[in-house]
Amino acid sequence: MSDVILFAHPTFGVLGILASVWVFVEALNASEANRSRLRLAAFVVAGCIVLAAVFGGYWYTVFYGHEKAIILKGPWPWAHNFVMETKEHLFFIPLILALYLPIAAAANLAKNGGARAVVLVVSAFIVLNGLAIEGAGAIINYGVKVAFVHTGVQGAE
Amino acid sequence: MSANTAAKTVAATTAAADASDLTGPIAAFGASAAITIVFNTVLAWVKDAYEPLNSFMASLTGHHWRTHGLIDVVVFFALGYLFMSYKFRISGVRLAALLAAASVVAGGGLALWFVLT
Repeated sequence: MSDVILFAHPTFGVLGILASVWVFVEALNASEANRSRLRLAAFVVAGCIVLAAVFGGYWYTVFYGHEKAIILKGPWPWAHNFVMETKEHLFFIPLILALYLPIAAAANLAKNGGARAVVLVVSAFIVLNGLAIEGAGAIINYGVKVAFVHTGVQGAE
Repeated sequence: MSANTAAKTVAATTAAADASDLTGPIAAFGASAAITIVFNTVLAWVKDAYEPLNSFMASLTGHHWRTHGLIDVVVFFALGYLFMSYKFRISGVRLAALLAAASVVAGGGLALWFVLT
């Protein structure tokens, strides 16, 4: 079950990133015709990022302790000390931006250039932060792998 | 230029400025998001540097990360409603720049902190 939760976290993260790209493109082409679609996309972003937070948060606070101990014994302790420590707090930036996105996207972007600029910036930073966090997750995962490979932790084989 | 023409020019300029300014939830919660993003980084620094705070936050929900996230969300919505009650107003370009700057500074601040500590 913990594996399902673990994989649900980056899955919803990626879906949130893709939905943010969707919002960005819709905002670039904002018109009366795509207004409702853009608002729907903004809610999809918020939903996906919140679910990524719920699944990732549950796994991190309940199961991550074992992996942390393994990483710290391995040759890449910085995978926890730097990467995970940064990732766990960096995650709140796209979370806040994602909660804000449906509020910003409620404006008529076709008529309001300022609101359009805000939606473009917010969706772009969700994508950039999301990609950084996905990459960080891969490094943390590799931190466990190299610990197994290099230290021969019992059961790794 | 007659006084009448000058008054019309001022009125048109003011109307244009009003049109580019954001008000209501988009302005209030936008400013709140920028502040919350920076607050998130400052809270991460403080709780990492001051273990009693970390332990206290952990005691509230079972893990400091859960408490941290809940505080961020509460701060975001509380500040947003507060700014709305004050009828906060800001230009869209300025708010976009503020959100971008907050994201870059807060993200860089987190990475730098955990590199140095």
